[in-house]
Amino acid sequence: MITSFIHRALEGKIVVAVATLLGIAVLVPALNLLTPPDSAFHIPTYVMALFGKYLCYALLALALDLVWGYCGILSLGHGAFFALGGYAMGMYLMRQIGPRGVYGNPILPDFMVFLNYKELPWFWHGFDWFVFAMVMVLLVPGLLAFIFGWFAFRSRVNGVYLSIITQAMTYALLLAFFRNDMGFGGNNGLTDFKDILGFSVQADGTRAVLFAISAIMLSLCLIVASAITRSKFGKVLVGVRDAESRVRFLGFRVENIKLFTFVVSAMFAGIAGALFVPQVGIINPGEFAPANSIEVVVWTAVGGRGTLIGPIIGAILVNAGKSFFTGAFPEFWLFALGGLFIAVTLFLPKGIVGTIQHGFRTRRAYKAAAEAEKGRDAPVAIAQAAE
Amino acid sequence: MNTIAETRTKSLLYLENVSVAFDGFKAINSLSFVVEPGELRAIIGPNGAGKTTMMDIITGKTRPDSGTVLFEDSIDLTKKDEADIAQLGIGRKFQKPTVFESHTVWDNLELALNRDRGVFGTLFYRLTAEDKTRIEEILETVRLTHRKDEYAANLSHGQKQWLEIGMLLAQEPKLLLVDEPVAGMTDAETVETAILLKEIAKTRSVVVVEHDMGFIRDLGVKVTCLAEGSVLAEGSIDFVSSDPKVIENYLGR
Amino acid sequence: MLIRLFSLIFLILSFAAPSFAQSDPKPLINHLAKADFAEAEALLGQIAATGDTRVVPALQAFSDGDLYFRKSDNLVFIGKAAGAGFDLIDPVTGASAGQAAKNAVTKIKINNNLRRVIRSAMGGLTLMSPDRGVRLSAADAVLRSPSAENLDLVEAALAKETDREVKARMEEARAVSVLSSDRSVDEKRGAIQTIKALGGRNALGILGSVSGSIDASLKPDLDAAISAIQSEQQLWDMGQNVWYGLSLGSVLLLAAIGLAITFGVMGIINMAHGEMVMLGAYSTFVVQQLIRDHAPGLFDWSLAIALPVAFLVTGAVGFVIERGIIRFLYGRPLETLLATWGVSLILQQTIRSIFGPTNQEVGNPSWMSGSFPIGGMTITWNRMWIIVFSLTIFFALLFVMKRTAYGLNMRAVTQNRRMASSMGIKTPWVDALTFALGSGIAGIAGAALSQIDNVSPNLGQSYIIDSFMVVVFGGVGNLWGTLIAALSLGVLNKFLEPVTGAVLGKILVLVLIILFIQKRPRGLFALKGRAVEA
Ligand SMILES: Nc1ncnc2c1ncn2[C@@H]1O[C@H](COP(=O)(O)OP(=O)(O)O)[C@@H](O)[C@H]1O
Ligand SMILES: [Mg+2]
Repeated sequence: MITSFIHRALEGKIVVAVATLLGIAVLVPALNLLTPPDSAFHIPTYVMALFGKYLCYALLALALDLVWGYCGILSLGHGAFFALGGYAMGMYLMRQIGPRGVYGNPILPDFMVFLNYKELPWFWHGFDWFVFAMVMVLLVPGLLAFIFGWFAFRSRVNGVYLSIITQAMTYALLLAFFRNDMGFGGNNGLTDFKDILGFSVQADGTRAVLFAISAIMLSLCLIVASAITRSKFGKVLVGVRDAESRVRFLGFRVENIKLFTFVVSAMFAGIAGALFVPQVGIINPGEFAPANSIEVVVWTAVGGRGTLIGPIIGAILVNAGKSFFTGAFPEFWLFALGGLFIAVTLFLPKGIVGTIQHGFRTRRAYKAAAEAEKGRDAPVAIAQAAE
Repeated sequence: MNTIAETRTKSLLYLENVSVAFDGFKAINSLSFVVEPGELRAIIGPNGAGKTTMMDIITGKTRPDSGTVLFEDSIDLTKKDEADIAQLGIGRKFQKPTVFESHTVWDNLELALNRDRGVFGTLFYRLTAEDKTRIEEILETVRLTHRKDEYAANLSHGQKQWLEIGMLLAQEPKLLLVDEPVAGMTDAETVETAILLKEIAKTRSVVVVEHDMGFIRDLGVKVTCLAEGSVLAEGSIDFVSSDPKVIENYLGR
Repeated sequence: MLIRLFSLIFLILSFAAPSFAQSDPKPLINHLAKADFAEAEALLGQIAATGDTRVVPALQAFSDGDLYFRKSDNLVFIGKAAGAGFDLIDPVTGASAGQAAKNAVTKIKINNNLRRVIRSAMGGLTLMSPDRGVRLSAADAVLRSPSAENLDLVEAALAKETDREVKARMEEARAVSVLSSDRSVDEKRGAIQTIKALGGRNALGILGSVSGSIDASLKPDLDAAISAIQSEQQLWDMGQNVWYGLSLGSVLLLAAIGLAITFGVMGIINMAHGEMVMLGAYSTFVVQQLIRDHAPGLFDWSLAIALPVAFLVTGAVGFVIERGIIRFLYGRPLETLLATWGVSLILQQTIRSIFGPTNQEVGNPSWMSGSFPIGGMTITWNRMWIIVFSLTIFFALLFVMKRTAYGLNMRAVTQNRRMASSMGIKTPWVDALTFALGSGIAGIAGAALSQIDNVSPNLGQSYIIDSFMVVVFGGVGNLWGTLIAALSLGVLNKFLEPVTGAVLGKILVLVLIILFIQKRPRGLFALKGRAVEA
């Protein structure tokens, strides 16, 4: 059962994408570690870290695409799941600092000492254990998505309304995490990480491995997403997107379908956040900002929602553009991003990959129609005459 | 209503004294209506008579303010939602054809097939030989075999109507509610559709709402005329169309 | 502040005092040089009893620790540090009395008890001032720190007083002093009634402070008075909270009202709405700049001039956005969201490039500053005007929508575009004008908000989520719903704040709205019918 589920996922494009990602996972770290710095093939660590970040964003975009592109739920709060995953990882990394903090407290992270905490808040317990933290990376975003979705989908909050309340959700979390007494480091967030599983987060080797893991996780999630979307469930999802009431009247529980997808998507986003944090070295409440979540929507739209490869390409392209612009002409970045938003919605509503695919599809449809020409029967002839 | 006792024992669908109002406007007004197993029933009535609203009530989309709605004499439909009711065996075709346009004709039918509709059931679903045969049969019935691999978006209006009927068949309902199936169809398509519905009605109950009197005549079945949310007349087409109230309310306009 | 009071007192005294002099206060003051605290207190009583208001500066100096005596002759002076030594000032006449080295004088010791005595003594003295304002503030001073010693003075002043307001205040001051004196029980009972009528936190404090020492037979009266004041106080506090809430609500209303048109009526998810508000605020800034440079006399009119300018500027921008982008996206609401977000980024960056990223200074015209009291509440003028203003805009808009031909066309187009156009309504025009109207109103809101908020390129961002919440909470397409939602969210916020703190209050409100939308997905006042379900 599972094998056929996975087998179905490995359709042509996905295989190519996964192979490419796995190739990158090996090649980039190899070029970073094994070539001498003056070699033409050398990839500097900061470039690798940058691309590692893009891969996390790509995973976040893939997560959003699952709910938006396939299920029609435009979440403007996916940044919240990303940030929660990031915080879970950040909490693990904070606990790893141990007595090496500025205040040298073996248990309490620096900010807690600074804020006069006497003991570790209950929700910080267990985070010194890697496995526990990784479970939380999935569980916390998943649980939030479950609770939120359970209410929202049951009461059939739809379309724009849903988008707006997801935005309110991430905004509320933004405000909450800015508070010092939440116990997550207030507006400074969590930072000054030392090591992960005993390896220094600064070391080239660790960074290379983190990069490789990001690429591998992205491939895995891509395969899972592909398996989901190519199953009958995936077809139901698209049905929900295009004609929700039809799905309902066919006897499907739309709320469960949405809820499952939303939770899986939130977990993807959580994983992305968890991989992001050790690579950039900080997580702060800014990640909850509604603007961040909206930016994810653009990556997805640019690449092509409703395709799985599209959001990955979109996220990488837009962020590469951002890195370039903010380096070369900082004041133009927002013009470029804003212009991109407008241009994509006006001229490229299907996104890059979507537009290319659509081209193929229409060619195929023509061929099919030509075939049908030969063997059609009476009512169809009439029907087409009526068109 | 002295016949309640008898009708109740053998009805498939039973509505009694059903009323619903929207902002004080009574769209359905003490409507009572019975469909027997295996029956093909036509419903006519002027625009705004409440025909679609009645279907909304039966399928759980709209909750009635008062009244009884029973399926198979025992199941209270007013307590259930759309998905429950569909799973009980009531299929519905919308007034505006509603199919999954970005799926192929085949996928549309596969989705509609009466199989496990849960999240995990669908995630791990595999097309069996039996299901394949069933879909092929339905494709034949709705005359879409040659277009099975095309996107539903590319179908003509009439073909979409048929595809939707095909999806309802795949659902294997005991009762089929069909809202204005021939609106926008050519005459030839209309004739074909009447034949199709009669064929379908051999194995299940069907309720058809239609305006097209020619089509109703083609069906040749018992007709109920609705107006202002309640039943005006019921009987053969000739009986109903000679009823002075019906002429005044509907035909004569 | 203190200095000002000081010089004011001097000024008054230079005209007034000698006529009241009953005996010369100077020897009494000189006695302070060698007095211990208890003696000093007695001396202060005698000084006050002279009724000579010229001594006030000396008393003030004593209280501030600026009173010194010269070691050589034990004469007392007001000392002002000057270089290595002191300038000496005569304590009664205020005339300069030469200089002294640091070690030639000694500071006269003071403690808090003496300070209190001084305060009441000064209050009593200035009660006799010929200046009405001084008498009034003197009565207030007695009210704030009553003492039995002042009672005779207050009563003497009261007998002379003719001004109604001052007299009333002195009555109160007298009542307060009576309570801490050894007057008869009946007199005290009357005083309690007077203080009760006075109300407010002060009265509560006074009654509370005597409750330990007062005659047992007065206890019931006292307790009744205290609880009466307390419940009245609670009412006023509530009133003040409601006022703050309404004021916040009116800000929300201002921010949301344009969106109620572009989103609520037209269905465009206009993420650039906040930037329209921001453009309005910047228009105000530019107008004020021009007025400052070219016609400073018109400054008080700057807001009145800025309002139409803001409306036209943002309206024009809105028009361009609708014609250039949004009209291609009707029927694809989620994509208008993306495109307008893009617009918002561009507008923000444009403003940032032109004016820089920092806050701009927008001034308040004089009629918008200051405050006035209503009973136990304080009302600031700018909040007052914002409320009036937001309601005015609201009702003007309601009028346009419901009573004009244009409003009718607009509603026709939004309800059934095809039907409207087949009836000869130029739908593209109506669309563009409606969007321009919504944007223009956002601009006006920005002009108003520039008075109470920082004008920066990020101004719009801080309002956009709140605005959407208000419109959704109130029910899309329903202007009244927007009004009620804005005001009730504002009040709710202000009532939560004291309990939970501002941030947590805001979070709670957001969560409440999210939950509320689950219950009523179409908001408080939903439009019903099939059209909205499609
Ligand atoms: N959800 C609803 N809200 C408000 N009015 C409705 C709703 N559903 C139906 N109506 C009204 O009820 C009446 C009956 O409509 P309908 O059942 O569609 O009539 P028919 O299908 O017979 O033409 C119409 O006047 C319609 O406007
Ligand atoms: Mg109908």
